[in-house]
Amino acid sequence: METFFTTSEKIQHIIKSFNLTKTLFVSSILIGEAYTGKKTLVRYLFPHTPIVSGNNQKEVTEALENYDEIIICDFEKLTNQNILDFSNKRIIATANYLGNPSIIDQLFAFIYTMPSLKERPDDVKFLRDNFIKEAQSTLMIEENDIDQKSIPLNLTSNSKSLKKSIYQHLAKHTMNIDDIQEILYKYLYTHFEGNNNYRKHLGIYEIPLIQAGLKKYGSQLQLSQALGINRNTLRKKIYEHHID
Amino acid sequence: MHINFESFVEWDNSPFILFNNLGKIIYLNNAAEILFGYTSKKELYNIALFNAPQSFGYKTTTLSLSYDSFAFYAITVGYENEEQLSLRMYNAPRLEIASKAETKKLIATDINILLEANIALFKTKNSNKLQLLVDQDLPPFKIDQNNFSKLLRKTLNTFRSSDSIDISLKLLIGQHVIIENKKESIVQLSIKANGRYTDEDKEITSLASLGQIKCITKENAITLEIPLIK
Repeated sequence: METFFTTSEKIQHIIKSFNLTKTLFVSSILIGEAYTGKKTLVRYLFPHTPIVSGNNQKEVTEALENYDEIIICDFEKLTNQNILDFSNKRIIATANYLGNPSIIDQLFAFIYTMPSLKERPDDVKFLRDNFIKEAQSTLMIEENDIDQKSIPLNLTSNSKSLKKSIYQHLAKHTMNIDDIQEILYKYLYTHFEGNNNYRKHLGIYEIPLIQAGLKKYGSQLQLSQALGINRNTLRKKIYEHHID
Repeated sequence: MHINFESFVEWDNSPFILFNNLGKIIYLNNAAEILFGYTSKKELYNIALFNAPQSFGYKTTTLSLSYDSFAFYAITVGYENEEQLSLRMYNAPRLEIASKAETKKLIATDINILLEANIALFKTKNSNKLQLLVDQDLPPFKIDQNNFSKLLRKTLNTFRSSDSIDISLKLLIGQHVIIENKKESIVQLSIKANGRYTDEDKEITSLASLGQIKCITKENAITLEIPLIK
């Protein structure tokens, strides 16, 4: 059985309300941004209910004829909303956005709003740990190789961007020199154009070199000694690459 | 032949009250007793004094009075001596509900569950404090679950930024409504607060009438009188 983890008070209330109305013939809709766990939540609450997608109008119409209880996901994609008849049925719908408020208001008794991940910091932590574990096994990375707290978390598209940012971070930070060279090889191969390619692509090496050096040594003088180049040369390169 | 009219007056459906010259109630019939749940002795006494005939006799005045769900279109005030002042109030006819109830299609429901689910929904959006006083022993009765949920959602939503919301759910004792020639009890859901939004009142009232529910909207409260259809 699927489980749904949350510490969000809002979602706890949604679960409570769904549980209370589980045996009643009422229509409910859960509206919220994409990748916030709406479908997972509904599946967790109604594990045996037939599920159809608003992408497929025919499928929805047929399901309405044959069942008393159905889940309609992607409800916003359904184009014939205004002719649906939900009377004496148990309808659970999910939608990424509200669409036509007056139709939704007319069709559904219970209109819930799913909070985005930005409003659920504790849920983000839980998802992060899960995605890290998943990524570690997929990418075959040893657990102690990563500093989990240093991973920047991108929540702009909720769990989708969160997952992507974790995978990317883990992939980047476990590369060895061969991987980096291979990536550079591919990049350079597709980006050779015209003349002067040496100077054009030198920044790929020099910018991270100088940025990392400045962070490590703190001053340009010390860095120039560590790099074994003249202080003026270093200054010129910093200027050329617009490094602050 | 001496006829005792008292029991006829007692069981008249319209309120009848007899005051003494100090405004004390000497007699009131059954309908008046129920009415006093919604208004005060002083209020009615003042109305009687104001509309009393100039000298001994009876005077009927057409006026419109309403106390909660009770509405009256006229009163008769009269006195035959200095000690007794009578007030008879005429019930305004209750509006015939346009939609026909299809009670057979309805499903027996525990109204407390619907109320609780709607309060949970309300709490997903608002953090206002709610005071709840409900009768958990109300029997399940027939109701259109989806429409009634919509009505509850809209009703609660008018209190979205109110403070000290009081919700009470109880059986109205001694009051009935006739639906499909059957006498049904009335369950009263009343929600009060320090104030509320009134922009959706029209919709709420029409949604209520679909379910044979009487809706009384006030500046700071909404009362729903729901027929307990068995």
